[in-house]
Amino acid sequence: MTILGRILIVEDDPNDVELTLTALADYNLANEVVVTRDGQQALDYLYCRGEFSTRATGNPAVMLLDLKLPKIGGLEVLQQIKSDESLKMIPVVVLTSSNEEKDMMRSYKLGVNAYVVKPVDFHEFVNAVKELGVFWAVINEPPPGSVQK
Amino acid sequence: MTELAEGPTQVGVRRSLAYWNQELQRIHSPILRYGFSVVSVAVALGVAFALQHYQFRDVELPVLTVAIAFTTWYAGAGPSVLAVLLSAACFDYFFIEPLYSFDISVRDLPYFLIFVAWAAIVASFSAVRRRIEDNLRQARDSLQVEVEQRRHREEEIRKLNQELGKRAVELEATNKELESFAYSVSHDLRAPLRHMVGYSELLQRQASSSLDEKSQRFIQTILNSAKRMGNLIDDLLAFSRIGRAETKKTKVDLKQLVDEVVAEIRPDTKGRDIAWKIGALPVCYGDRSMLRLVVVNLVSNAVKFTRMREPAEIEIGCDDRNEEEVEVFVRDNGAGFDMQYVNKLFGVFQRLHLPEQFEGTGIGLATVQRIVHRHGGQVRGEAAVDQGATFYFSLPKLQYAGERTANAP
Repeated sequence: MTILGRILIVEDDPNDVELTLTALADYNLANEVVVTRDGQQALDYLYCRGEFSTRATGNPAVMLLDLKLPKIGGLEVLQQIKSDESLKMIPVVVLTSSNEEKDMMRSYKLGVNAYVVKPVDFHEFVNAVKELGVFWAVINEPPPGSVQK
Repeated sequence: MTELAEGPTQVGVRRSLAYWNQELQRIHSPILRYGFSVVSVAVALGVAFALQHYQFRDVELPVLTVAIAFTTWYAGAGPSVLAVLLSAACFDYFFIEPLYSFDISVRDLPYFLIFVAWAAIVASFSAVRRRIEDNLRQARDSLQVEVEQRRHREEEIRKLNQELGKRAVELEATNKELESFAYSVSHDLRAPLRHMVGYSELLQRQASSSLDEKSQRFIQTILNSAKRMGNLIDDLLAFSRIGRAETKKTKVDLKQLVDEVVAEIRPDTKGRDIAWKIGALPVCYGDRSMLRLVVVNLVSNAVKFTRMREPAEIEIGCDDRNEEEVEVFVRDNGAGFDMQYVNKLFGVFQRLHLPEQFEGTGIGLATVQRIVHRHGGQVRGEAAVDQGATFYFSLPKLQYAGERTANAP
């Protein structure tokens, strides 16, 4: 686990954040995780503005995006990312409670890279988060030059 | 056009004459009608005397005839007969020699008879005309009533349509509300459940060594209940989605569908002795994935409720009911149920067995019913406790008319 891309989590629920971080920690994937709590903060991070104006440049290896968020919703964040030349290459995984067909269709139309429904069972949830972390942050080759490791 | 050529006064006069003409013809009181008869003969007599006074000769006959015609025209057959009799009497009395007597000389008799005959012909012609007019008027009146009724009905239909439109709008609003409700359930209700499960498992993991057996069992119960609630929510959402989803209807080979489902379920029944009996099944018309869900639910129910039978028997077949419908049945020799509770069978979350006996959320048959209803069919179940159960669902047959047009070049 030496080469590890940064994981950006966009999640408003503190319990979900903790459970996700726990799951990632179980598999030593938690060392480079950034947590943002709403759509606005997530976009601030990606554009290096506001509280993130001094952060190291480069895009995250993957973004785990919840759909129901305060201020700017997940779908809107997704739309902004996928319509921005410098951000559209970031792999975005929607990680949400709902398996509503409407959300799924809309996300795929906007160009989401994966859509994962959080399983109620904790083992399955841990597995899902682990697989996502391992696949996108370790196995997957990010677009050249976009990710700073 | 003629009305335009006339002045407004003439038009008014013509209209009011026509009005009085009609009103007089409508008189139905016998006193007025017979009175009209007497008055017109008296007036005619007066006119005849006046004309005679001014040296006109032989005017009495035409004047009295006119009176008879008027009476017939306005007062009808009975008064006209009276007018004829009165005129004949007056004619005889005042104008036929010897004057002022009802005697008739033989010389004048033909003259008098001709007058009576002539008056009678005028009277009968007028009576016929009046009868025809009466009939026409009646027909017109009933037509008017009918037109009025039709107008009423149309008004009613218009109102009902308006009401219907309002209902449709309300229904749409309710549907939207329901949809957003389902959406919110699917988003917001699952999250706390996930947290309950997650933290319980974390607790179990971290404190399992320090917890006694009872506490461990408590945690396990929390976990099981939360998971069960998760399943219930998922089932309920899936159920509500079936109600909202559009049906994509095509030809569906039920035999092929059932074979497919049974082949899929078979691996789960390893170690059990199940005698499958699958009869001939027709091709029907419906949404394949929905009908598949119906078959999956019924067949897996049959498998579940025959768990304690060795050998279990599951039969799937169909009754050719009539031209339009086909009824498919799934029969088993399993636990069955008490027919007393048959009305609860297809309700959401209704169960007729204890969870320790047979697992499940109680949504399967509700789903079956909803899908079959959406296909215009019916569902029913028959059973006896420990004697097995049979579930029937009917479906419309492949529409031959539709098929023909589809195959037309």
